[in-house]
Amino acid sequence: MISAFGAVLFVFILVTALAAAVLRDILAVIIISGAYSLGMALFYAFLLAPDVAMTEAAIGAGVTTLLLLLTVTRTVRQDHNRAIERPNVPALLVCGGFLIVLLMTVAEFPVVGDPAIAWDNPAITQYYIDNAYKDTGVKNAVTAVLAGYRGFDTFGEAMVVFLAGMAALLVLKRGVFTNE
Amino acid sequence: MSDAEGERGLSAYTESQIIMTTVRLVAPFSLTYGLFLMFHSADSSGGGFQGGAIAGATVLMIAFAFGIGPTRDWVKNQTLVVMTAGGVAMFALIGLIPMLFGDAFLAHPVFKTELGIKTKYALEGVEILGIAPIVAGIVTGLFFVIASGFTAEEEEVATDD
Repeated sequence: MISAFGAVLFVFILVTALAAAVLRDILAVIIISGAYSLGMALFYAFLLAPDVAMTEAAIGAGVTTLLLLLTVTRTVRQDHNRAIERPNVPALLVCGGFLIVLLMTVAEFPVVGDPAIAWDNPAITQYYIDNAYKDTGVKNAVTAVLAGYRGFDTFGEAMVVFLAGMAALLVLKRGVFTNE
Repeated sequence: MSDAEGERGLSAYTESQIIMTTVRLVAPFSLTYGLFLMFHSADSSGGGFQGGAIAGATVLMIAFAFGIGPTRDWVKNQTLVVMTAGGVAMFALIGLIPMLFGDAFLAHPVFKTELGIKTKYALEGVEILGIAPIVAGIVTGLFFVIASGFTAEEEEVATDD
């Protein structure tokens, strides 16, 4: 049912996620989050979503880790007498309850790659599969949908990325990204 | 060089022969891979966002290995501004051209019917000229901005308006 690779990957992701949540040393948490993101990137590739995997590897594991490292070099590293955070009982109860609710939905999920999956919106999905190449001449249906059919969405997303950079300049009260 | 020494984010740099050699080997490949993802996004997985992110991350990698200060001096602010603002402008421009022919914003098939340009090239134009430079520029810019940090003491008085 689940391959050995998938099982090892799942355990790795679970362990790194838990470690990132309970460790007290921020530097350790940043490094472990990077490892977690790399595991998630492999997991997306494992689920046959290479586009998402590449983004997760570059942004999640690479850029975010570097940005967090840059930020943490500006702080003072604290000496911890305990390595592990003491659990907050109310938060643990809420998260535990939420986890149980989420796990209950897992049974309803279709098997990955099952051709008989009922899609969310079968008419539109089938339209893209049938017409994407004919309409756009693009073999990668993901690109056809993102840049073609849903180009307006993508324009908005590109604007969000652009504005994120502008917002960082504004918040840090700087006029330039690098030196003039 | 001397002006960078006061900033703690930059002085945290330690020269490492291992990291420098590794980055020197990996950087050409990662940049090529980023460009491949941009230019080949129409026919295989990838796209402007992924390609731009990997190309941008290559600059971060170089900065990580060879020091943020020298890399920041090497990358011109103008380059990043032209990339990001130019990317937004190119995306909008490609979207506006169909409106000249009375069709909707971003109606790419117009390129084929009115101008004889394959629809595919309009999509690739959006990916390569629009999204990729925006993402690469912002990833690089964000890194340098955060590396230089917030200099509160010199701006504190001026913000009183």
